[in-house]
Amino acid sequence: MSGPRNAEDRLRRLLVMLPWLMEVGEAPLDEVARRFNLSEAQVQGDLELVAMCGLPPFVDEMVDVFVDDGMVFVGVPRLFTRPLRLTAPEAFSLLTSARAAMELPGADPAGALGRGLAKLAAVLADAGIDTEPQGDDTAGVVVDLAQPEFTDELAEAAAAGHELAIGYYSPARDEMTRRTIRPRHVFADAGHWYVLADDGRSHQRRTFRIDRIESIEPTGLAFDIESVEPPERFFDDADVARATVRLAPAARWVLDQYPVDDVVELEHGWVEVRLPVSSERWLAKLLIRLGPEAVLVNATGDNPGVATARRMLDRYDEHRR
Amino acid sequence: MVDRIERLTNLLALLLETSRPLSLVEIAGELVGQYPDNERSRRASFERDKAALREIGVPIETEMVTGGPYSGQTTYRIDRRAYELTDLDLTPDEMRALQVAVAAVRSEPGQHAIWKLGGALDDERPAVSAVIPERPELPAIRSAVAARAPIEFSYRGDDRKLDPWGLLLRGGFWYVIGHDHARNERRTFRVDRFDPADDDGADTVRVGEPGSFDRPPSFDPRTAFPADPKQIGHGAEESVDALVRISALRAGAVERELGSDRVVERAGDGSVVVSVPAGNLPAFRSWVLGLLDHAVVESPDDLRRHLIDWLTDVAEPTTETIRP
Repeated sequence: MSGPRNAEDRLRRLLVMLPWLMEVGEAPLDEVARRFNLSEAQVQGDLELVAMCGLPPFVDEMVDVFVDDGMVFVGVPRLFTRPLRLTAPEAFSLLTSARAAMELPGADPAGALGRGLAKLAAVLADAGIDTEPQGDDTAGVVVDLAQPEFTDELAEAAAAGHELAIGYYSPARDEMTRRTIRPRHVFADAGHWYVLADDGRSHQRRTFRIDRIESIEPTGLAFDIESVEPPERFFDDADVARATVRLAPAARWVLDQYPVDDVVELEHGWVEVRLPVSSERWLAKLLIRLGPEAVLVNATGDNPGVATARRMLDRYDEHRR
Repeated sequence: MVDRIERLTNLLALLLETSRPLSLVEIAGELVGQYPDNERSRRASFERDKAALREIGVPIETEMVTGGPYSGQTTYRIDRRAYELTDLDLTPDEMRALQVAVAAVRSEPGQHAIWKLGGALDDERPAVSAVIPERPELPAIRSAVAARAPIEFSYRGDDRKLDPWGLLLRGGFWYVIGHDHARNERRTFRVDRFDPADDDGADTVRVGEPGSFDRPPSFDPRTAFPADPKQIGHGAEESVDALVRISALRAGAVERELGSDRVVERAGDGSVVVSVPAGNLPAFRSWVLGLLDHAVVESPDDLRRHLIDWLTDVAEPTTETIRP
């Protein structure tokens, strides 16, 4: 909705707006704007630009649309009566969204979503996405959002406004904590499930990884539910300290997995990266996992991997078979 | 000069309505005053418009004129049947369900698809959502899976040819699973690790002849690709089980992750010993190390030794030079 829109984006939106307007004949400007996620000024501006576009002098081959007193009116429908077919990315996204929704807590595969998806087979084929007979190809695209224990309960509590008491393993402190939370939103991102909740311990809105929740119990208290946007990626924070690490070729996955500020190619396929460090413990864990495939060049304090590795080696001394 | 949106709309209308393919000269003649008079800048503007229309999915057909005074010229038109969306006849509850699905995934191309199908923007925030990564390669791979067409791509510097059997999103990544021609066995590739296209503009994924292979009837990406992350990239048959002691603090979480049947011993202090497949060494090591000092490999000896060596390397960093 914000930012400049290029000609392609504007035309793309117009080509879905016009067929819809022709079908309804007239609609309040604010409703059109909300429906198509634009401001009223953007809708009015774009519609006025294409009004009377087409093939003059043939009136029935021109876009006949005008905005008056907060209402959009459409005249003789002739051009652009049908939406453009789906593009391949649109069709693929629709297919995976529907498959993903089937995996979410509370989905009903036999219900409206399943029937809608079956009807999609034809347009998917038009977009070159699916030529399987009657959409029975569930093996071709699988969205696996396997949920840890408690995901359903947390989703229900978020929808119903039920406060919960949870036991939570805090990796930053490496300890088990007890707290009450008011779940706001449950979401999956990059292979993990999270709950965004008002945390009674810190009195802040926090994101908890669901697989670190050890126990869950209703407190019996209810709260008002509100519509909450899930957070964008949590990692990128300009205030966070940075560390410089050299990575062997086998450790290049770090570049895919974590945000990095700088990447410098070195000899023999090694790279030097500067990356944000959310905590010493996090950096220690990364260095431990990378082992000989990484070298810490520069950090704000001591090398936290060394102390952690020594502690781990002590544990190996304690436990022998 | 008219606004670009107007010119694009007029061009679209003209090419949709024309009864025969039109050359650029004819197009400029119809759209009076909208394209530059200079031949070269007219061609450049038109090419830009054509690319913009194709970018949003408009199927523009081109034809080369043979014979006659216009021989050698290219002509253009849009086939209305290819342009228009097939009517799906979705019932309101089906439309609503698809709308909610797209809202839960927050996909921009998905939202465009919803608009085309006649749905609205779903402004209610669902209580549950999922981030599904979008990759430009996926639609092409998907259509190759459906058409049984082989794909060629470059993966970590190697050229690969694969009969793609299916796509799987798991653990936040898209994988394509299929039969690798050169290695003559089933292989799995992470789609976001495909090498980017060459400088010459070739596509990252090249799709071959449809109907080139049969997919095994029993194929299911979920089982072809085991859920246990320590099995990824390996056949189950070569698996070795390791015994790992987990401290009391993480015992519950690990038991939930692996299942209770993996617990072989429960100690009085709350710690447990679990039996874990370790066939894929890097994946196993990464899992054990991720638990930090809450996990100790007890057996087999060579695995235990491997982890001790690994940790010693971190505990005693080389001082003489900084690798490489």
